[in-house]
Amino acid sequence: METQTQVYQRVTVMTVTGRVDSTSAGDLETALKKLVEEGKSHLVLDLSGVEFLSSSGLRVLVTTLKAVRKSGGDLRLAALSQRASDAIDLAGLDVLFKTYEDREAAVASF
Amino acid sequence: MRTAKPPSPPSERRRVRTRRLTVPGDTTSLAGVCAFVEAAADAGGFDERTSHACQLAVCEAVENVIQHGYRGERGTILLRARSGSGSLTVEIVDDAPAFDPTRYPVDPRASLRDARVGGRGLLMIRRVMDDISYERRGRQNILRLTKNRVFTGV
Repeated sequence: METQTQVYQRVTVMTVTGRVDSTSAGDLETALKKLVEEGKSHLVLDLSGVEFLSSSGLRVLVTTLKAVRKSGGDLRLAALSQRASDAIDLAGLDVLFKTYEDREAAVASF
Repeated sequence: MRTAKPPSPPSERRRVRTRRLTVPGDTTSLAGVCAFVEAAADAGGFDERTSHACQLAVCEAVENVIQHGYRGERGTILLRARSGSGSLTVEIVDDAPAFDPTRYPVDPRASLRDARVGGRGLLMIRRVMDDISYERRGRQNILRLTKNRVFTGV
């Protein structure tokens, strides 16, 4: 798994690529926690390059969502790969996240 | 005069294929487990989306064994796959304490207030697979996951 972060004026976009399972979920959690601790609470995750997303990875998404909502922000998902979308639906977590066709739309939504 | 039993036709012989894989009970095994399930799903003639759903389900079951069964103790996990035309059965065999995931209650609804994210893996397994059975044989857990329909989404 790899992550790449772009910081805009009001929104921070993190692009996640590769496999997110219990071997890599910790790295994703650390990267997202760092953003939240820096006070970045308007987050967009670009999931277009996600090849595999297990419940361990989904757990990180939910804990980050809780953290940013607490500080009045949100975590929104953009450009979901079919695999990421299926994983989120199968876990019944689609109701928790706002999702957008592409990252531009997600950034503009804030 | 004795007559030999006629051999089964080639198509019949090709129809079912079995494979097995033994992995250490730690998370570094997960990518290999996915590759194993992908090959077995291919042999069953499943499309890419169904194959991925099966990989998710089997990996969730294996992760459960690693995290809640072995809990950091050393152990191995045996996978046995049987691929037929349009069907796939994967057995996950481990030596961890008895745990029957078919009896574990799972709430399909998720809310941020009480998101029991821990139970999500079991929900994923149940939503993907068409048949799930569990057996405790001696000191082994045997979880049998079967897919015989194309996955088209939840």
